[in-house]
Amino acid sequence: MSITEVREVQKREDRLGACIVYGGSLCDIADKGKKCACLEDGERSFSQGSICLLLPGSSILNTIPDNVNIFHGAIGCGAPSHSQNANTRSGNVQRGNAVRDAIWVSTALNETDVISGAETKLYNAILDADKLYRPKTITVVATCVPGIIGDDVDGVIERAQSEVSARIVPVHCEGFKTKIWATAYDAVYHGLAKSAFDDPRFDDPIIKDDLYNERIAYERAHTVNLFSVSSMGYADETELTRYLNALDQKVNAFPNFANPDEMYKIKYAGLSISTCPTHDDYLLKHLEDEYNVPYVLKHMPIGIENTNIWIRDIAERLGKSAMAERLIARETVELEEALAKYHPFFKGKRVFISAGEFRALATANLLHDLGFEIAGIRSFHHDEFANVEYEKLLKNTDENLVINIANCQPFEEANLLNTIKPDLFLGHWNGNSTATKLGIPSHVIYNSGLAYLGYRGVFELARRLYRQLANPAFNRNLSRHTRLPYKADWYDKNPFTYIKSGIEVPEDFEERSEVSK
Amino acid sequence: MSNSIERPRYYCSLGGALSTLEALPDTIPILHAAVGCAGSIAWAQNGGSGLQVGGYCGGLAVPSSNVSERDVVFGGVDRLHEQIGTTLELMDGELYVVITGCVTEIIGDDIRSVTAEYRAQGVDIVAANTGGFKGNSYLGYDIVLSELVKQYVAYDLPKAPKTVNILGIVPYMDAFWRGNLIGARRLLEKIGVTVNTFFTNEDTLDNLKNSSSAALNVVLSDVYGVDAARTYEEVHGVPFIQATLPVGPTASAELLRAVASALNLDVDVEAVIDEENRQYFRYLEPLADVYNDADLQKYAVVIADVNYAVAVTRFLIDDLGWLPVLTQFTDVLDEETQEIITAKLRTDDPIPAPKVVFDTNATEAIRYINELYPKQESDKYAETLTPAFVIGSSLDRSLATKIGAGHLSVTYPISNRAVLSRGYTGFAGGLSLVEDLLSAAVAAR
Repeated sequence: MSITEVREVQKREDRLGACIVYGGSLCDIADKGKKCACLEDGERSFSQGSICLLLPGSSILNTIPDNVNIFHGAIGCGAPSHSQNANTRSGNVQRGNAVRDAIWVSTALNETDVISGAETKLYNAILDADKLYRPKTITVVATCVPGIIGDDVDGVIERAQSEVSARIVPVHCEGFKTKIWATAYDAVYHGLAKSAFDDPRFDDPIIKDDLYNERIAYERAHTVNLFSVSSMGYADETELTRYLNALDQKVNAFPNFANPDEMYKIKYAGLSISTCPTHDDYLLKHLEDEYNVPYVLKHMPIGIENTNIWIRDIAERLGKSAMAERLIARETVELEEALAKYHPFFKGKRVFISAGEFRALATANLLHDLGFEIAGIRSFHHDEFANVEYEKLLKNTDENLVINIANCQPFEEANLLNTIKPDLFLGHWNGNSTATKLGIPSHVIYNSGLAYLGYRGVFELARRLYRQLANPAFNRNLSRHTRLPYKADWYDKNPFTYIKSGIEVPEDFEERSEVSK
Repeated sequence: MSNSIERPRYYCSLGGALSTLEALPDTIPILHAAVGCAGSIAWAQNGGSGLQVGGYCGGLAVPSSNVSERDVVFGGVDRLHEQIGTTLELMDGELYVVITGCVTEIIGDDIRSVTAEYRAQGVDIVAANTGGFKGNSYLGYDIVLSELVKQYVAYDLPKAPKTVNILGIVPYMDAFWRGNLIGARRLLEKIGVTVNTFFTNEDTLDNLKNSSSAALNVVLSDVYGVDAARTYEEVHGVPFIQATLPVGPTASAELLRAVASALNLDVDVEAVIDEENRQYFRYLEPLADVYNDADLQKYAVVIADVNYAVAVTRFLIDDLGWLPVLTQFTDVLDEETQEIITAKLRTDDPIPAPKVVFDTNATEAIRYINELYPKQESDKYAETLTPAFVIGSSLDRSLATKIGAGHLSVTYPISNRAVLSRGYTGFAGGLSLVEDLLSAAVAAR
């Protein structure tokens, strides 16, 4: 059945067996990954607040030009948009557009709505938004409250659609329903695939010349879809586009900052290319099943080796391997020369990484190539796509390397960092303050204003890490005068003390982490 | 648009309660909520609170029960019980406060019976029902403070006749909360009053615990903190007065007089005010030439929350001598409050009073401005809104660009300024506001 025929996406726990609780070693997780697609998930008896699918969902939706994002829920659910708006503003400027703010509204559900339902309110909010802003699309983000009180959000959208000129896109982000926030990518893609991929009404030329079909075929053979994860910005997009242009391809970048009027074009590309396997599989499979657009989804172009194989995979599908080899040869020689001066400085320094799984692992391999030693990795969830990356990592590090799967949970991180004492930490947005307060030089592992991907990303990241390591006074000074909110004896305990089921913490874990120090 | 609020300039009551607790010393908030609530609030602070996120126990470090679909079906009380137990084991604090999100509030978890069990064991623990659908973050501040007043603040303490508590400045919603609280504190200390501000680096939890001994609560807001002050009055017999956020000389002097009078202080308040004015104007003195030479007087558009909309508009009228033409309140306010506030923005002849509007949708400001300055047949001698300045949030930059005005962010969301110790209260705060307004006005000089 096509995904557009079902109302809501399946949560990733069910679709992919993704999990969020694990503490152990690299060798164990890589091994388990080989045997079964996933780990059995556990639970924590102590947990800290995290994010839900609404945040990554709205981070994509807020970039879409001429879109109004309606948060159907309590008044606070759309508030992360205040942070994401910085990306919308700078992303527009970088793409040569006027600076503009994202537009979002909240249906601000109150106690009366909770009791009597809020379908009418949503219906009216959609009509109001269409009248006031004249958007091309209206994305309706359904949050926890309508999910519990049972609002028929899709029914409201179906009713409202005939009354408005904008295309209405349902995006189900009920936070309590899934522990895996990567489900958001499926939810966004699901909504867009359902409502925003229609061909323009007057697309067919009235008079078709003799070469029309040939030209369409040529276009298709020379156009690829580049799936841009929301954590990558314009610098990364242009870097990857540069390689694809070199392979004689035009690029449809999707979904971040994609014009709703042109989204349909991704159905007519010759190939879909993922930049992050965890991000894109749902839509890429749909595009293949429904529109015969094959896809490449295996590697993330972070680090030299990964960028090389990312390009090779694509070139092979396009029949342009020879061109790709010339590109890779030229780029890597140039890059290695530029990096040479950093190698002695980075050599042997120990780095700890915390991020979305694929990104964390790919970045670990990059840092290894720069000369760092990998001291530990925390990933926000685990799924089958990452197994290939664990295999690569096994070649680059000790098999006893500490691996922790956690949806943030900085208390485990604080414990690990206190034991491992790395020289450098790379963490997620709003996830660097633990390392910072421990005085560890730290750097954000994604920021849509900075370059991370491809060859240029390696160099730019090296430059930034040099800067952090050269003068870590901010973190060092802060650590001398502030402290983390954990009791002193926490640091003497096993970091995975509060993981209570599903996962076996190896008995010799502490010895192993001693060894890996 | 009553069916929706555009880019709400606040978050939910859970968020307001959490931000309030993050600002209290040695306090560990415990969220009984869905997994994403803490993150949404951290991101909201990240984008709107002048680069400040969390505090001692904030951001993604706050304990949270992260209730799931299973808890929605079977109830989340057991999970909360477990979470409190492990939190007490692991998190280093003096006071623990359980606050609820939408999900646990709708399913009706009885959090108070759980906290009562722990309280019986001698733990300082408080429960507050803050489910996000109850209202916005300003309400959350009042809900959680009221519960602290009832469940944590000590009963039957002897009164300290010269001690006051400051309420009405909401941490993180007001990015300048620390500077503003310190500013209010310094101001009132000038007349010999001991001041509890609860949230600053100069406060301890004991100040909160013993705050029922205060002789007076001073609410520096027309709306925020009033419920908490009423709770103090009902539960601990502490009376309260309300005053405008004291930005600059005029409002500061009024506050000093009001507090001295309410406390029956035997202090020469006018002498204190004279001395403060002397210092303020000595600072201002060297500005006399350039202020006039560069023609730095402006027409102003103020778009802000209740505290700033009133305080900044009054400061511009009474102290700086600008002409506010439009003041838009972005809070949801009842009619009675709207009338009280509108009365506060009256002016004496010949100063034109600003048009006062209550509208949560700030992009409507341009429509109000166009009504004030209708298109003329010939624009050669037309009245125009120049020179103009927009004081609001960072979202009002687009309006400023559209009307060719300068711009300063003072109210949530503030994404384009770093705020740590800066504040606008008191005489000194007035100087800071003059500096910031004029710096923005001459940035291209």
